[in-house]
Amino acid sequence: MRALKRGFRSFRRHPAANLVVVLLLFVCLTFCLSMLAVKLAADSQTEAVKGRIGNYGEIRSSSGYMMSTFERERGKSEAERAREVRGMSEEEELEERAKTLVPEELADAFSRHRYILTYDKILTAGVTVPGIKNVELSSMLDLSKEIKEGAAASGITEHTFVFEGNTNGASASEFLNGSKRLIAGSFYTYADHLEANPVVLVERNLADENGIEVGDTVTARVSGESGKKAEVKLEVVGIYETVEAERQSQKGSFATFNPAGNKFFAPLSVVQTLNKTPGYVELGSYYFDSVDHTEELREAFAEARGDSDRYEFVTDEADYRLISDPLEKVGKTSLIGFGGALGASALIILLAMAIIVGGRTRELGVLKAIGATDRQVVTQYAVEVLCICLVAIALATLATALVSQGIGDWLLSGSENGRVVEEGEEASGYAAMMARLTERNLYKEGGLFSLPGGEKEEAQLNVVYQGRMLAYGILILLGISLLGMAIPVAWINRLEPARVLSME
Amino acid sequence: MPEPMEDYGNNLGGVGGALLEVADVSKTFRSKAGEVRAVDGVSFTAQQGEVVVIVGPSGSGKTTLLYILGSLEKPDQGKILVSGEDICAPGVDLIAYRRRRVGFIFQFFNLVTALTALENVALPMDLSAVPSAEQERRAVELLERMGIDRRLQRTRANRLSGGEKQRVAIARALANDPQIILADEPTGNLDSATGGTVVDILVRLAREDGRCVLIVTHDESILGVADRAFHMADGRLSPR
Repeated sequence: MRALKRGFRSFRRHPAANLVVVLLLFVCLTFCLSMLAVKLAADSQTEAVKGRIGNYGEIRSSSGYMMSTFERERGKSEAERAREVRGMSEEEELEERAKTLVPEELADAFSRHRYILTYDKILTAGVTVPGIKNVELSSMLDLSKEIKEGAAASGITEHTFVFEGNTNGASASEFLNGSKRLIAGSFYTYADHLEANPVVLVERNLADENGIEVGDTVTARVSGESGKKAEVKLEVVGIYETVEAERQSQKGSFATFNPAGNKFFAPLSVVQTLNKTPGYVELGSYYFDSVDHTEELREAFAEARGDSDRYEFVTDEADYRLISDPLEKVGKTSLIGFGGALGASALIILLAMAIIVGGRTRELGVLKAIGATDRQVVTQYAVEVLCICLVAIALATLATALVSQGIGDWLLSGSENGRVVEEGEEASGYAAMMARLTERNLYKEGGLFSLPGGEKEEAQLNVVYQGRMLAYGILILLGISLLGMAIPVAWINRLEPARVLSME
Repeated sequence: MPEPMEDYGNNLGGVGGALLEVADVSKTFRSKAGEVRAVDGVSFTAQQGEVVVIVGPSGSGKTTLLYILGSLEKPDQGKILVSGEDICAPGVDLIAYRRRRVGFIFQFFNLVTALTALENVALPMDLSAVPSAEQERRAVELLERMGIDRRLQRTRANRLSGGEKQRVAIARALANDPQIILADEPTGNLDSATGGTVVDILVRLAREDGRCVLIVTHDESILGVADRAFHMADGRLSPR
């Protein structure tokens, strides 16, 4: 205790020398702790992002296959197509309708992979609802006669609506991502899908314009069929509003035109019936545990689909990389900075203590001559070193709180600049241009009618004080203090008072 | 962990018999340049209350002998008995010896410059775990005895004059009430008037307190106060 007091007194009584050391340490430790704070923030934010991005994938018809199918169909005349259909058996007709769809067996089999946490199956189809007019679509059809004729040829009329089917209404992506919100009634359930209950969710404006309320029925027609037997009565179990459309219309975006804004949501089995494609889905949608297992899932999918390139497994890994790559780069840079600053701090404390102890050699000799034990002298100097380091690290911690966010932003902006250049280079290629043309959104981003390449989440670094920082700060304090103590310990143990006191 | 408090009461040896007996002490320093026999078969005795002065030129081995007596150097051979106890024997607690039985006074004072006069005097007591209040009381008493007033007591050691520093150094040497005072050129860094004052104090410590004061110096004017005087040359001691 007395040695502690003597050490503290010695710290107070050598203000100038100690202040210089404290200041030098303060600068290095501020940089060191800031880099550590940035590193911890980058790591924790990468982990946080991992929890919600990069862990989504879907199985769907591959872009290449879709393109080739489109090219093949474009080359045929209307008469040729009609002739082909007339000559088809029922199985061939189903195969034709489902040529860009995915067999449910494939989607179900993949869902049993050990990394898959949740999955859904989705099918969107154009369905005729004779009693209701699609205002958005009819205004588009009115735009030009050519378009109207083209549309009519493909079976699209002002009574055509998009029907989206999945296994559970509440888990439809637009309800999950908040772009649509149920305002009346309830969602259809998994049981509705299993039992093929004819229920449906209707958009609010459409319901208002047509006087539809929860409990009412709307009549839809099975694709390609006619007459009474083709009609399916659907009970309206819920009404939703489109939040995203409101937001986009406020921005004056192109997305204000959204024919899917007033789409119907129904159980997958019902939409399969209406589309006459039982056993087929547009895509299988999966959430798995982590982006870290993306490659394994890709391999599992490649094994399941065999040599065919008809289906593809796409994930949102690119979205994850968009965020994680800059953060990982910042993390690496800050780790190097942290190591350098820590090394500089260690060097400073070693040199400072060598200078301090060297300058007080005579004092050490006197202390030993008047009966101080080595332990007493070492403890006194250890306390002095500890005080120096403690003040430096306390000041550095405060300064870190002020500057670490700035340092983090600066590092992040550096890493993002690199990314922009890379993207620019990519964009100039023909392959990139084609890729963009064929780019399709993931279902989790809103599906068919959301804008491809819309607003993506970007890397952000929030350098906030973490509990771990305190623990690391204490470790650094102990580390550099122990290092600083090594000099007096070595010096004092070797010191012979008779030699020191003989010096003039 | 609290340090054990040591008894710093009057450590003076009993009446009768030599307080300090030095028998055939030698010390050789070895270096690349060769061997130097700094102390060569030195023997003498000193009684309680005596002033013993050893004079000799620089490099004659006076300071080495003093450091051997203060246990700062270990002799190659010989015995040093303090109140009959051989301090060169194995197992002797030399730290306790330095704390309680000898007090050092140096030519260059060797005060801790960052501390006040009072703190310098209290330092040996602090190392011996004397309670703070007792440290202060005794330090003040010793400094007043040395003629250091209250204001100077609170002054940092580096701001004191040479004479004041040496008086503070004497007070520090007395802090744990040692039997033996070892003074190495105590007037070597002082003017003659101040040096005279310091010598008077050292003589009083022997005469009034009954301590054994051993002074090594090249200043032969001090010989006048000596009860016993020796001359040292080339490590050998001879009576004067």
